[in-house]
Amino acid sequence: MNVIIGTVLIWGAALALLRHIARVDRAKLPEVWRAARATFLVMLPRTVIGLSGASFMAALLPRGRMAALFGPERGITGILLATVVGAATPGGPMVALALSATALKDGAGTGALLAYLTSWSIISQTRTLGSELALMGPTFLIRRLILSAPVPVMIGLSSQAIDAVW
Amino acid sequence: MAGDFDPIEDGPPRLPSPEARRFRVDFGLMFIASLSLSAGIAVWITQGPGTFFHLLWGDTAMILSLLPKIFGGILLAIALAMILPRDRVLRLVGPDSGLRGLVIASGAGAVVPGGPHVTYPLAMGLMRAGADAGAGTAMVSGWVLLGLNRVLIWELSFLPGWLVALRLVLTLWVPVVVGQMARVWARRSPVPDDAHQGRQR
Repeated sequence: MNVIIGTVLIWGAALALLRHIARVDRAKLPEVWRAARATFLVMLPRTVIGLSGASFMAALLPRGRMAALFGPERGITGILLATVVGAATPGGPMVALALSATALKDGAGTGALLAYLTSWSIISQTRTLGSELALMGPTFLIRRLILSAPVPVMIGLSSQAIDAVW
Repeated sequence: MAGDFDPIEDGPPRLPSPEARRFRVDFGLMFIASLSLSAGIAVWITQGPGTFFHLLWGDTAMILSLLPKIFGGILLAIALAMILPRDRVLRLVGPDSGLRGLVIASGAGAVVPGGPHVTYPLAMGLMRAGADAGAGTAMVSGWVLLGLNRVLIWELSFLPGWLVALRLVLTLWVPVVVGQMARVWARRSPVPDDAHQGRQR
C-alpha cells in the first residue's frame, strides 16, 4: 500500500513539473527524458542486484547472535562492536530495524543500539556501493564516509551518557 | 564551422548525464554482485532451493512493484534540478551559501521522500546546477540520518518513540557539520566531477 501511495505522489509531482517545463520551454522536455532514462539505466541493475542480494544476506544473518553482541554492560566495547555490525548490515530498513527491535528486546543498551542504527544509516553498503558510487562518484562517497566515520561512536557515547542520567 | 559553437558549453544548464556509464561495471557493482551471488549460493546450500526461490520470487515481485516509483522518482529529481534557476541554486546552496545553505540542504535531504532514487539524482542535479560538494554531502547525510520517510514509516513501527526521538535529537547537528567539513575539504581540493566523466571519455 505504501508503495502505491508513494508511486502516485511521486508521479503526480513529476507530471506537474513536466507540465510546467512544457509550458515554459518545451524544447527542454527531450533532454529531461534522455537524462532520466540514462539515470534509470544506471540504477536498474544496481537496484535489482542490491535488493535480491540484501534479502539473501538477511536470510543468512544470525540475527539473535548479532543482537546479543551489544548488551548494555559492554559500554564503549559494545558501542564499537555495534558500529561494526551496523556497517556490515546490508539492505534497507527492514533488516536493520528488525535486528534493532530484537536487540532491544534482548536488553541491548541505548548507546549500542543508536550506534548500530547510525552506522547502518551512514554506510548501508548495498546503497552506497550500488547507487551512490555510480551517481555521485568515488571522491564524494569516500569523503562523506571518512567525515561521518566518528559519528556512530559519538552518538552512541552521548546517548549512553543521557541514558545513565535518566 | 565546427568548434565555433559548443552546444554543451553554451546550452542550457547541463543535466546529469551518466549515459556513458550506463553499463559500465564499476567496483561497487562488481562487489555487490559477487556478494549477492555468494549469499544466494549460501542460501541455496544451507537452507535449500525452496527458500532460495521463495526469496527470489519475493524480490522479483518487490522490484517490479518498485520500478514505476523508481522511474518516477528519477524523472521528478531531474526535472526539479532542471527548472531551478542556476542563480537561485547558487544563492541557496552554492559554495558561498554559508551555514544557512547547509541547513537548507540537510533539511531538503530529510524531507524529500522517495529514497535513493530521488535523493541521489536530485543531489547530482543540484550539484550540476551550482550546489557545492558541502551542500551535496549535507543533503545526502540529512537523508540517510534524518529522512522523515524512514522515521515515520519504518523506525516508529519497530522502535519505541522515545528512542527514535533521542536518536533524532542527538543526530540533528550531524549533516550540517559533516557538510561544512566536506565544504572546507572541497575548497582545498575540489571534488572532481567524477560522476560525469563519461562525457569526457
